[in-house]
Amino acid sequence: MKKIILFVSALLVLFASVANAHGPVRQKAEEKITIDAPAAKVWEIIKNFGDMSWHPSIMNTTVKGDNTKGAVRVLTLKDGGTLTEELKKYDEAKMSYAYKITDMSSSKSITHAGAEEKVPALPVNDYAASIELADKGGKTEVVWKAGYYRAYMNNNPPEEMNEEAANTAVKAVLETGLLNLKKLAEK
Amino acid sequence: MFLANYRHAHSRLVRGIHTILGDKTVAIFIATVFLSTPLAAQPTAYISNQLDDSVSVIDTATGSVVETIAVPGKPAGIAVAPDGNKVYVSTPEAKGFAVVDTKKHEVIAKVTVNDGTLGIAVAPDGKRIYVADWYKNTVSAIDADSLQILKTIGVGESPSGLVVSPDNRWLYVANRISNSVSKIDLNTLTVKQTAQVGTHPFGLTIDGRGERIYVANVKSDDVTVVETARMKPIATVKVNMLPYATALALNDSRLLVTNQDDGSVSVIDTETLKEIALITVGTKPEGISTHPNDRHVYVANWFDGNVSVIDARTLKVIDTIKAGEGSRAFGQFMGK
Repeated sequence: MKKIILFVSALLVLFASVANAHGPVRQKAEEKITIDAPAAKVWEIIKNFGDMSWHPSIMNTTVKGDNTKGAVRVLTLKDGGTLTEELKKYDEAKMSYAYKITDMSSSKSITHAGAEEKVPALPVNDYAASIELADKGGKTEVVWKAGYYRAYMNNNPPEEMNEEAANTAVKAVLETGLLNLKKLAEK
Repeated sequence: MFLANYRHAHSRLVRGIHTILGDKTVAIFIATVFLSTPLAAQPTAYISNQLDDSVSVIDTATGSVVETIAVPGKPAGIAVAPDGNKVYVSTPEAKGFAVVDTKKHEVIAKVTVNDGTLGIAVAPDGKRIYVADWYKNTVSAIDADSLQILKTIGVGESPSGLVVSPDNRWLYVANRISNSVSKIDLNTLTVKQTAQVGTHPFGLTIDGRGERIYVANVKSDDVTVVETARMKPIATVKVNMLPYATALALNDSRLLVTNQDDGSVSVIDTETLKEIALITVGTKPEGISTHPNDRHVYVANWFDGNVSVIDARTLKVIDTIKAGEGSRAFGQFMGK
């Protein structure tokens, strides 16, 4: 009987907890595009970690190091925000590289749960991404993947820093970047 | 209540049929019930799909998903009971863990523990479940029969991976923020010793004799080998980016380590303590467990939502099995 009571009370707790927030769960984003240009041409545009001028949201890139693991670039966004990213993996033969955000400026401050919270330029935490090209019979498939958490790591996130905000922002970064890359490569 | 009613209704149904048609039908009825129950003869892998709120049940004989069980609460950690009849799944969003019946393929109980449950393990005799809470910095010991918390023990900061010694005497806890491993005495449920390891230890495993633990340090990109008797690190083995969890194969001679940010598995010779191979798997490999045949090692690729099967002898990926979104399977996910 005890077990049954426990079961029922556990069920009640479950229903109650659906409305509550919880610890963050890692999110993912993946965008693909097929470009009508040879992979070598597309790779030429994106291969330098220190040059992200192919992305329409990036105004300026500065870099320390070359295209090897450990290089650090600072991306300045059109709105003035900055993202610092470290190159984690670089594979010329596979035409791919992977990197992580190590620092960000904040886009604004909000008050949430009685505390001041700085919303980062990209509302995510612990963001890692990779970009990879594949030759598809003369055309190129570009796959851009990212894994990340929402920006607010405690329970009950504000809407500027929840999963939806993170997913929307990341999807936009990947999508607009790939569309512009296609435009540049098919010129 | 529900279970009691169900049992009642079931026996009433049987009695009813019995009354109408006699003994033969009851026998047929029972036979049908038995035949329609999936046969759990082959070892089974249980993969938690965190973004899908489900657990994929993989028949390792056919290499295919035979069932997908709904497990709400963002299932993350997994521990299969030694007899293979139950699987315990930590559900951080539901603040605890779920008990899955592997015959019925459904959640039969939900236990509230705390709001940061991730690491979960079950005792070798199946009598207790251990759950770590990364917010409260505790490990709770739960009676597997009553599902009551026996004791909650303070450990280091952000306890993550858990493993019980084969003799059921000790529980080892990787404390991610404290860069340490706690050794808990399972007779007294108190911390006996703590060893400092690499930076941000996460997943860990223990050898068959209970003499060594191998803990993956996500931040220092290495594995610390700890001798359990003295709780002293005896070696640090460099692997690749963001080592997440570890598993042993081939009579403990090979240690396999998922490198989350490299999309690979490092293979270490446990005698020389050197990396002897780096095997490419899927994107963001996380959970890793060894098949009862001690040769095939299963790796859950979180980003790809699939499972790579590695042959530890040939050091090749021999199969890739589609699971669900966000397949994490953090813990011992292989059942008999």
